[in-house]
Amino acid sequence: MTRISMRSVSKYFDGGDTVANYKLDMEVDDGEFVVFLGPSGCGKTTALRMIAGLEDPSDGEIYFDDDRVDGMPPADRNVAMVFQNYALYPHMTVRENIEYPLKVRGVPPEERDERVARVAELLHIEDQMDSDPGEISGGQRQRTSLARAIVREPSVFLLDEPLSNLDAKLRLEMRSELKRIQNELGITTVYVTHNQEEAMSMGDKIVVLNDGTIRQVAEPEELYERPRTTWVAKFIGSPPMNLFEGENRGGTVNLADGNTLPTPAESSSSTVSVGVRPEDIDVSTDAPDTDWTLPGTVKTVEPLGEYVLVNVEVGGSVVNVKVPQTEATAGDAVHLTFDPADAYLYDENGELVA
Amino acid sequence: MSVASYLDDRLDRDVDTEKLTAILVFMLPGLTLFAIFSVGPMLYSAVGSFFTWDGFDIARFAGLETWIATFQDDAIINWSNLLAFEYPMGALPQNIIWMVVHVPLSTLLGLGLALLFADLRGRSVLRSMVFLAFTTPTVVIGLVLLFVYDPQAGIFNGLLRSIGLESVVRNWVQEPQIAIYALIAGGVWVQTGFSMLLYSSALAGIDPALLESARVDGAGRFRRFKDIIWPLVKPVTAVVVIMSMIWVIRIFAIVYAAGGPSGGPGGVFSVLGLEVYQAAFSTPIEYSKAMVVALIELVIALPMAWYIASMD
Repeated sequence: MTRISMRSVSKYFDGGDTVANYKLDMEVDDGEFVVFLGPSGCGKTTALRMIAGLEDPSDGEIYFDDDRVDGMPPADRNVAMVFQNYALYPHMTVRENIEYPLKVRGVPPEERDERVARVAELLHIEDQMDSDPGEISGGQRQRTSLARAIVREPSVFLLDEPLSNLDAKLRLEMRSELKRIQNELGITTVYVTHNQEEAMSMGDKIVVLNDGTIRQVAEPEELYERPRTTWVAKFIGSPPMNLFEGENRGGTVNLADGNTLPTPAESSSSTVSVGVRPEDIDVSTDAPDTDWTLPGTVKTVEPLGEYVLVNVEVGGSVVNVKVPQTEATAGDAVHLTFDPADAYLYDENGELVA
Repeated sequence: MSVASYLDDRLDRDVDTEKLTAILVFMLPGLTLFAIFSVGPMLYSAVGSFFTWDGFDIARFAGLETWIATFQDDAIINWSNLLAFEYPMGALPQNIIWMVVHVPLSTLLGLGLALLFADLRGRSVLRSMVFLAFTTPTVVIGLVLLFVYDPQAGIFNGLLRSIGLESVVRNWVQEPQIAIYALIAGGVWVQTGFSMLLYSSALAGIDPALLESARVDGAGRFRRFKDIIWPLVKPVTAVVVIMSMIWVIRIFAIVYAAGGPSGGPGGVFSVLGLEVYQAAFSTPIEYSKAMVVALIELVIALPMAWYIASMD
């Protein structure tokens, strides 16, 4: 079907004063589900809108397969888009909403009816077809707007935070539903979200954006296991990775608070950061028999059912630790230990060394 | 029996007496003013139109005499000219013609300008310029029209000369068959500002995602207008159309300023308001005729006002 390539795409607003995107380079393979993930204001929506044709890049090229599409109006790109607020036409019924793109494109009425009926079934909204968008629930609105996008059988499917207006339960439900539909139809999909859980669960590939630039492109597991920069490390995971910054003394790292850690790898950098995920750290009251340890004081203990989140103060900063259970209570002096295999090393530029 | 217990019986449920009293107390000043200045005069003229008047005093009961005379008056309806569609046709048909030409023009022009200015830099300046005409006293508009259409100094004739249409130069407000349209153009100029302003805010209220969604769906400019914008601004269209109809039915100052109390040569652009004024304030004073004409105006305007007031 369609492969999307962005080549050095930049977008400036206000005559260049605001940089929304800077030199984006990426590919979305045919039939792939790619997620643009980043904090609000990182330029992910602008990037999506450029693919849709709602914004023109200030610089760079966008290709669908081998056709250059930047500068082409959205209507000619055969893209379908689902908006955050669904953007259902309020004066049309659910059926008319879904039918609209077909009507505009001059599809004959019998075929229209047939195709509308088919997507209505796919999305389970047959019962709401004659209601107004104002009368149906948020989830049904969401389904209607998906149906309107799917009915056209677009070559590219674009979703701009489509689940953010739904409540938590519906969001989970729609997440798997969306994934099911995308698998069934095999349409190349770009999905924008700031919710990393959504990104991890749905994406074949995740594009992490910040300040308008791409920080990392990776599959979900890789993104979690090998965050390429400290920024990504601190962005992915809940709570995110703990980072200990210190001076590289060839073999050991002298932390600012006076503690030392062995280095997990060689680096020529003078300042480095050692990173450990909260779930890879252990809390014990006895001094352990290893160098991979730091002393601290328990600040708070948050039993969350599934796991216990222990916030430990180490040399003035707080370290998050996720453990299945713990006997530690606030005020206890504890030792944090971790396996060297779970430790990451970042150089002075925040780039991953190992 | 107190009002509350009466309502209790009627409505078969408890009425909060205190609340009811409060509501009535708060409504009283408004209702009083409304009764004295709106309902009162209407009833007064409705009743008065069936009597003959000696100055400002009721003389005798006249039944439908004045009504019949008014509808036979050439100044109100000139039946023979009306059938030939030749001015003067009388104030009532002329007023209606004014409405038929003016309302669609000012509405569509207002919408057009609102659409044009929507994404423009400096739109507030442009909007203010267009809206300025609406804020100008209508008497001044009438005077400005006199200047604009002046055969020597007028900008309109100057424009015609500059594009080589020397032959059609004339005093537009003195041409019996054309004058009314020249004035209507002025009215449209005034009302366009109003409808543009209303449409501008209606357009600003449309979620931009709807239009973007339509773009992605494949709708071009015209279809986006026809399928999305036009249906969504429909309530505003209703308000604009009816407000300008009411505005036209009440029109007076522009016409008076441009053609005096007679409404142009032979009354070619006389309107109902002008006839009310003539009947009531120029000798011989025909007070009952003034009331009849005012009531005709009211009968035309009232249903429209009712429609607007009952809109959601």
